[in-house]
Parts: sequence; structure tokens; C-alpha cells
Amino acid sequence: MTNRFLSHENLSKLVADLAAAKTRVIAPVRTNDDAAQIDYLPIQKLEEASFGVRLPRRSAKEFFLPATDVLLKYRYEKDGFEIESVPTTAKPQVILGPSPCDVAATEIVDKVMNWDYRDELWFGRREATTIVSMLCSMMDATCFCTAVGLGPDAVRGSDAMLVPVEGGYVVRVVTAKGESLLKNYVTDQVSDALNTQAEKAGAEARKKVEANMPAIPAAFAESLGRNFDHPLWKTMALRCHGCGACASVCPTCHCFDIVDEHNDAEHGVRRRNWDSCQTARFTVHTSGHNPRGSQTERFRQRVEHKFSIYPSRFGEILCTGCGRCSRICPGGMNLAEVVGEFRSLATAAPEGGAQ
Amino acid sequence: MDWSPKIVAFVCNWCTYTGADLAGTSRLKMDPNVRVVRLTCSSRVNPLFVIKAFERGADGVIVSGCHTGDCHYSTGNYYARRRFAILHDLLQFMGIEDDRVTFSWVSASEGNKWQQVVNETTARVKALGAYHPQGKVGQAQ
Amino acid sequence: MKSLQELAFKLLSEGTVKVVIGYEQGPLGVRPAFITDPAQSSKLIFDRRCTQNLATYLNPRRKHIAALGKAAVVVKGCDARAVAGLIREQQITRDSLVIIAVRCGGVLEDPISTAELTAETTSPRCGHCQVREPKLYDHLLGELPPEPPVNPRRSEQIAAIEKMTAAERMEYWNQHLDRCIRCHACREACPMCFCVECRAERALPQWIDFSPTPRANRGWTMMRVMHQAGRCVDCMECERACPEGIPLGLLARYIADSVEQRYGYKATDDPGVPAPLGVFRTDDGEEFIR
Repeated sequence: MTNRFLSHENLSKLVADLAAAKTRVIAPVRTNDDAAQIDYLPIQKLEEASFGVRLPRRSAKEFFLPATDVLLKYRYEKDGFEIESVPTTAKPQVILGPSPCDVAATEIVDKVMNWDYRDELWFGRREATTIVSMLCSMMDATCFCTAVGLGPDAVRGSDAMLVPVEGGYVVRVVTAKGESLLKNYVTDQVSDALNTQAEKAGAEARKKVEANMPAIPAAFAESLGRNFDHPLWKTMALRCHGCGACASVCPTCHCFDIVDEHNDAEHGVRRRNWDSCQTARFTVHTSGHNPRGSQTERFRQRVEHKFSIYPSRFGEILCTGCGRCSRICPGGMNLAEVVGEFRSLATAAPEGGAQ
Repeated sequence: MDWSPKIVAFVCNWCTYTGADLAGTSRLKMDPNVRVVRLTCSSRVNPLFVIKAFERGADGVIVSGCHTGDCHYSTGNYYARRRFAILHDLLQFMGIEDDRVTFSWVSASEGNKWQQVVNETTARVKALGAYHPQGKVGQAQ
Repeated sequence: MKSLQELAFKLLSEGTVKVVIGYEQGPLGVRPAFITDPAQSSKLIFDRRCTQNLATYLNPRRKHIAALGKAAVVVKGCDARAVAGLIREQQITRDSLVIIAVRCGGVLEDPISTAELTAETTSPRCGHCQVREPKLYDHLLGELPPEPPVNPRRSEQIAAIEKMTAAERMEYWNQHLDRCIRCHACREACPMCFCVECRAERALPQWIDFSPTPRANRGWTMMRVMHQAGRCVDCMECERACPEGIPLGLLARYIADSVEQRYGYKATDDPGVPAPLGVFRTDDGEEFIR
């Protein structure tokens, strides 16, 4: 990983050049409906972006897994039907200034997207996208990226990371893609003073988040699995509405439902749409049986999947500590609190107990 | 391709449908854009029918039943009237033009009235143009 | 709130109820609490941050809560209307729960905030509240606070929409509904959305497309609002739950106003008053009928 320097002027020029080349540039932007909120939206000029204000309302996952995604188109013919597949290559795009928690999520989800089946739509978009993240300064008491092995300065998933310093940014170039995007805009010489500034900014940011939660040890995945039947799940799930808002804003949640939709008598599409294991009917079988029939099982599933099942399968915690779920939950659920409660059980003997 | 409005009419069997039938047998000239869905009573009209008609490509909707006091089931259209009133207010608030939706009472003997409802609704919808919500799939796409 | 804590302690230790559903301080702010152990009664609080409508948890579909046993629920005047609605529509019986009503002087829109009640921070639904002293209760607690500040945001927005042309209104709602991702948090947080199977979940026949597309998002939103007509208690939980910040409270208020102007009905905490769309008058207005 090499350091470069990018001035404000050159970043502005980069955005303008990309826009002129019709490459979509996405950045955190103040929303139309609520100036206090930030969303990831396309920009034409650097001035439209608002970096470092607050974590965007939605994660960046929709640029790889849209909320609704056409999988194929079909057309009824006289004697059957015709299927038209959708292209799996995507137009090049740049995501500028996303938070490290949103960016790391893409790499974590890559694992399941390439597991028993390679998801070509996901990877087509991944390959077409260059991610230039920014050091996070937006932490509050709810985030815990350092606890899950990441951090406000983590470059995981980024092609390059910008660290704000005097006059511009120290650029940590991570991949060849990042180098290729930025090479005509950065200077190679980075003064010691600026490097120090960047180091200091990273260290200060880390310290702030580390104060929220100690690092989660590898053994937690296994102990959480052993506590599958713990009565604590029942108590914790009581206030959960099962609304799935958490999954919708989560950078790592990726479950989807597949539906066929006809547009008229002859034409239709097959889509996949965001879904959530928290909804009542997520696991309803055709027979009517529902193995996760109450919110207790559903809530437990979410936490076990993120902190036990996904780690045991892919060696990754399916959470980047962004805190969105806890901030927007209408029922006041708090993932850090849940994790904390089960960690304090980790050293105790596993408890059984029927619901 | 010349655009022609698609209008769906939800009508009650006993009054409006019969009135429409009378309009037909009397050879009254009517625009051909209306697709009639026959129901037992105007009260059978679930507001979802209207909402779904617009979702599925209708440019205009007609809902019609017996005059109040004449309902075949005595009170159906009284309940329906309240439901339609609120539906009417909601559709307007959400930006569906008043002229796209017609609520009417047409009795079994009012063939002429049915002709008027059909032709006037078609003319109003033609003037407004096709209905499409014009939203984008996802604000960031 | 000491009287609340003491009452909860009494109800639980005497076995009158098995759970008290109230409010507590969570890691981020005020949140719903489920107290089953009398010793935990001291967790219960009531202050201006208690904005959630706890009647949502009384829905019999929430089996894991119903399994706890007979409940006592803490309600403000607006929440009591939702309890009345559930009783009116026979989802719960009056004697199946203990209602602890609290006199209320308005709540913050955001339960995480610690701000004072001002015209900007108070929930728009609180202004001109007529039920600061609820009438549906088994126990009535607290001193009557002063009237809440009036937050005009919602009525101003409704007035602005009413002045718009149809095309402008369409554009206004598109701008918001484009963000809808069909998570249905609005439905889950709503105390009056208690259907075991929501119409939106039905595939055969399919009423509204499942996908978050402009046409389906409109269909979903309009359908839910119509199903709430005359039943909605204007708690604004739908708007608070929406992760996309869609102003669903505008629709709740607009339809409630429409019902009130046409039929003189306001959401009430009297379960004996029938829902307005379940009754009629022969002289109901029909100016909209051609």
C-alpha cells in the first residue's frame, strides 16, 4: 500500500472528468427530503458531496445488490415462452467517500456470493466499481467497527482511501484499480508532516471507536452457538417488531426474495427483492409450518447468523459495526447490547432451558 | 401508435350493469375504452380494486352502483359511499387527478346516464393523457 | 415515576398481571420495557421521551408476548385510542389487560433526544391534544402537565400539498416513495395493522406487486392508508419506524381529517363508538359523485 497526495482541486477535477466521461460517481450527499440526512447519491460535481457529516441513511450495498434487481425477462409465445437474460457486466462507476464500514461489508458479502454459486450480477457490479473510501470521523456511541476487526481507518474493500489533511488528502492506494483511477491526479511526494497528520487522524479515530466496545474474540462465535437455547433470547426479542428495518439499512444483510411479475399478459420479469429474516413469514413453508414461528427465534437467528454461523462458515463476522440497525430500530433494540450480554455469558457454562 | 385510454369500470350487477346493458340494446353510441367488471354490489368494490387498476396500467377508473335508497341489498351503497369518499380524497392527495376517477350512481333504467358517464369519463381521461407515476426505481439508480 | 413503579411492583407481586409493558431507559434512549420480575419495576419511567405506542405489543399475533400472560400496559391518551381500537375490533377483550394510563403533556418526536419540549422537538401529533388525561384506564397516574407546544410542521406540509396541482403532488410523493424499499416497518410498528396475513403478502391472488418499484410502492402505501381509514389513531409510529424517512404521518393525518370533516369522527378511546367506515348515515355527503 503506497501513499500519495491528492489536492482538493485535483479531486474536483477527477469528479468533473468522470462525469464528463459519463462514469457514474456516487458520494454522500445531503438528501432532498431532509437536509439533516445523508444518502449515497450520484453527483456531477465535487461540491455536491458532503463528506464527514454523518453516516448515510442507507448503506452502499444497493450499488451491488439493488433493492429490486431484474434477474431475467420472459415473454409468452404461442407454444411456450422465451427467456431473455440480463447483462451481468455493469457500467463503470466510482463510489467516492463511503465509510470504511460500508466498504468492508462488500468484501465480507463476496464470500457468500461466491459460495455454492457465483452471483454474476453481484460480481459484475463489483468489478465495474472503484471504491475510494474516506477515513471516518463520524463515529458516535453506537458504532463498534474496531470490535469486529475493522476500524475507521480500515482499507478493507477499498481500492484507495482518502485521509483528510491540510490542502487535500493523503491517499492510501490499495489496489491496481485504485492506482489506475487516481494516477493522473495524485502526486507521489507526500511530506512527512502530511503523513504524520494522516497517521494521527487515523489513530485518534480508532481510539474513539475502541472506547465503545472491546474487540470480539474468535471464541465468541462458538460460545454464541452453544447459547442457542439460552432464555435470554426470549427476553431480548420482546420489543422487536419484526419489521426488518434493520436488515434494510444493514451493509452486510443480503437476503432476498424472488418473484415473478408480469407487466402484461405476455411479458414479465423475474426480480429479486430485499427481504429480512425478521419478518414473520420469512421461513413459512408451503405446508404452512414455520420453523421460526415467533420473534424469539427470528431475532435469535439474526444475531446467530451474523456472529456465529457466518463466521463458522466463512471466517468472517457478518457485521461491520456501523450501528445503523440500533439507531433506526423503532423498538429500541441494540446490537451492541445484545452482543455484550452474550459475551458476559461466554465464560459461564452453557445454559439450556426451554422457551 | 395512437394512444387510447384504458378505463376500468367496477359496476354493480343490479343497477349499473343493467343500465349499461340498456345503453347497449338501445344502440347508444359510446367510446370503446371502458372495460366493465361486474360485481354484486357497489359495496363489493374494495378500494384495492381501484388502486390496483391504476397500478396495472389503467388510465381511468369508473365505480358505479345503485342510487342510495335503491340498493338491491338495502344498505350496501351507503357503506360504499363512505369508503369511496375517503378513497376519493386519498387519490387526490396523492396526485391522481380528480378527472381520472368517476364515482356515479346509475340505475337500471338510466341507459342514457351510462352513456354520459362513459363518454364524459373517456373525454376527461383523454385530455389528461396516460397515467404513469413517473417514479424511478430507487432514488440512487 | 414513582407511582408507576409502585403500581407495577404491586400488580406483579400480587400476580394480577404477569408482565408490565412500559418504558425504560435503554442504551440509546427511551425504549419499550417488558417487566416480569417485580424487583425490576424500578426500571419503569415516564417522561417526555416516551413517544412509542405500546399498544402495538398487544396484538395477539405477537405470540411470544402473549405467552407471557396477562399484561398491564402503560398508555398515553393517544395510545389508549389504539387499545380501544383493538377492543373495538375484537382483537383483545377489555378484561384481558390492565390499562395504566398516564397524564401526558406531549412527547418528543425522537425518543433518543433529551431536548426540552419546543415547537420544533415536540411530535406534530401532540398539538391541541384533547386526551392529555386519558379516559380509558384501570389506573390513572401522574400530574396533568401543561399543554404541549404545537409543532406546525405537519399541518404546514399538508396545507402546502393541498395548494399543489395534481402533477406537483404526484412529484412530491414520487420523491418520497422512490425510496420505499417495502420493508413494511410501517405496518409492523402500527398497532392497528394486526392482520395475520397482510394483503401485501398474498401471492394468489396478488393484489400489490411485492417489489419496490414506483407503481407498487404507491399501491402499497395507498392500500395501507385506506385500510387505516377511520381506524388510525395518529400515533405516527409508521413515520418513526420508516428507515427511509418517508412522511407517512402526513397521510395518517390527512385521512383522519377527511374522516372527521365528513363524518364528525375522531379517533377515540371509547371502544363503544363504532368505526366510521363500519356505519353510515343516509344523508352522508356525496359531492364527489358525478
